[in-house]
This record gives sequence, C-alpha cells and structure tokens, in this order.
Amino acid sequence: MMGAVADRLAASLESQASTREFGSWMAAEQKRVFLLCRRMLQDAGEADSATQDTFIKAWRSLNRAESKDLDDPARWLTRIAVNTCLDRLRSRRWQFWRKRPEPEDEQTILQLAPAAGPNAEDKIFAEQIGQRLATALDKLSLRQRAVFALRHYEDRSLADIAGILDLDIGTVKVHLFRAIEKLREELHDLYFRDRVKK
Amino acid sequence: MKHWTENDFEQWLYGLKEQDSHTGTCEECSAELERLTLTRRLAVAEPEIPEEFLAEQRRSIYHRLQNAGRNFAPLRWAVSLAVLLAVVVSLTLPLSKKPTLPLTNDEQLYSDLARIEQTDEPKAIQPLHNLFEE
Repeated sequence: MMGAVADRLAASLESQASTREFGSWMAAEQKRVFLLCRRMLQDAGEADSATQDTFIKAWRSLNRAESKDLDDPARWLTRIAVNTCLDRLRSRRWQFWRKRPEPEDEQTILQLAPAAGPNAEDKIFAEQIGQRLATALDKLSLRQRAVFALRHYEDRSLADIAGILDLDIGTVKVHLFRAIEKLREELHDLYFRDRVKK
Repeated sequence: MKHWTENDFEQWLYGLKEQDSHTGTCEECSAELERLTLTRRLAVAEPEIPEEFLAEQRRSIYHRLQNAGRNFAPLRWAVSLAVLLAVVVSLTLPLSKKPTLPLTNDEQLYSDLARIEQTDEPKAIQPLHNLFEE
C-alpha cells in the first residue's frame, strides 16, 4: 500500500521535474523556432500555431521511450519545426481563397527592432531587402524554401541541413543552387547594390 | 588569377563554393568577402519579439498539453462508430422489411381447422361442385 503511494508520488515528482525541464528548454528554443516558422510560412499568426504544434509534438515524442536519447535536441526540434511548416505549406496550396496577411497586421504581433549595423541607412535598407527576400520565398518549391531558410537565416551547414531534412548533401546543394537562381534579383540587390552604385 | 564574380561570391555565401588560393591573396576579393558577410548578418538579424507574446505562446502550449491529456480519444471513436452504425441500420432496415400477412386471431384459426377436419372432401373439390350446380 505504502509502496504504491510512494511510486505514484515519485512518478508525479518526476513528471513535474520533466515538465519544468521541458519548460525551460522550450523558453530557450522558442524564439528561434518561432522565427524559423515565420520565415518559412510568411505569416506571424500561422507561425504562432506552427510553433505551438512543434513543441506539442516534441513533448509527445519525448514522452515516448524511443525518443529519450537525443544527441542533438536543437537539430531534432528544428526538424520537427520544418516538417510542421512543410505540412502547413502543403495544405495551404488547397486554400486558394486564403488572403495574404497585411504587413501592418504582422507589425502588431511583431515589433521589428532595428538590426545591428553601422548606420541607419544600412539598417533600413537591410530591413527592406530582408522583407523583399522573405516575400520572394514564395517563388521557391517547398524543399527549396526549407533549404534556403535553414541556410540563409539559421546559417546551418549543408550537412546539417541534409540531416534535418533527411536528404543527401548533393540534393541539398541542388535545392540551394536552384533557390539562389530563383532569388537572383533579390540577392543581387541585397549584396551588390553598393557595387552598382559605385 | 581572375577575380571572383558575383556568382562566385553568392555561391560562397551559401556554402556552395569554398574559398581558394586567390581569395587568400587578393585584397580586393577578401575585402568583398568581409563586406558580404556583414551585409548578410544585417539582413538576417533577428527581429525583437515582445516577451509578452512569447509568454502567451508558452501559456497556450501548456494549455493545449493539459487538454491533450484529458481528451477521450477512444470515446470519440466509439461515438463516431455508433452514429455510423445507426445510419447504416436506418438505411438497410426498410429494404429488408418483408410484406406481412394479415393477422388472424386464434379463434378464427381453430374454427377453420375444425371445418377442414369435418369435411370429407378436400377444399380444392369445391369449385368442381359449383360447376354442376344449377
């Protein structure tokens, strides 16, 4: 009798501890995951839902015995986030009536802080071109978008991206190459505008 | 050796091209690499997200996790199955319904049986008798 009570108490304490541990891990990863989702989905509201789904999936998976040994939790979480976003992008294809959110609406959710840089003009320019580039991601296929987002925004190595997306590195290179080709105009303006002026 | 082109620089930025001996020695190209690195850092700088928004998001996650533990998934399936069965039964029942014969009470049945028993001739003979009656 006492043993059963002690077991329940131990399980409850263990559960509370794991919830606390998960909570602090979530707080540490939350912003990164949200930004990744936002960059992939281009919609703050949808990115919010995707971020929530990501952590809920992670929690459920962690509660299953087979997922307890994770050598790289951040990468594992990124994989869940990317797959969640890809699922949403796939289902979005059928929602032809869906309207793009107004940039002003996004601003109410996110107050963009000025980027760190040498002068105000550069900051404004970087912000503008960043938004233009983000909008241009619609030109890319789902895989190209995922590869480009992970490389451009998260600065992940190609091997890392291959691991996250479960692709071989050659395929990642092809996707990235094609993505750069499609974004040529935006990337040119981002990186070589000054050269043209000179 | 020739200077790197815009294409080369772009590919290097995205990990598709490695630096070579030229960029190691050419001041112009190495300065361009530095400039591009800085530009990219500016363009991908993380926007600030209000802490209240993140806290609200965490609360939603906890709320959903709590509700997920309380849901009755098997019961949901049972309800769906019951509804499906009810629909199937209601659709098939009228089809399998057979026409019923008019009911007779017990007394009528017994009197019919007694009449049959009392007559010597089978009932089928009666129409033949009727032929010879004037």
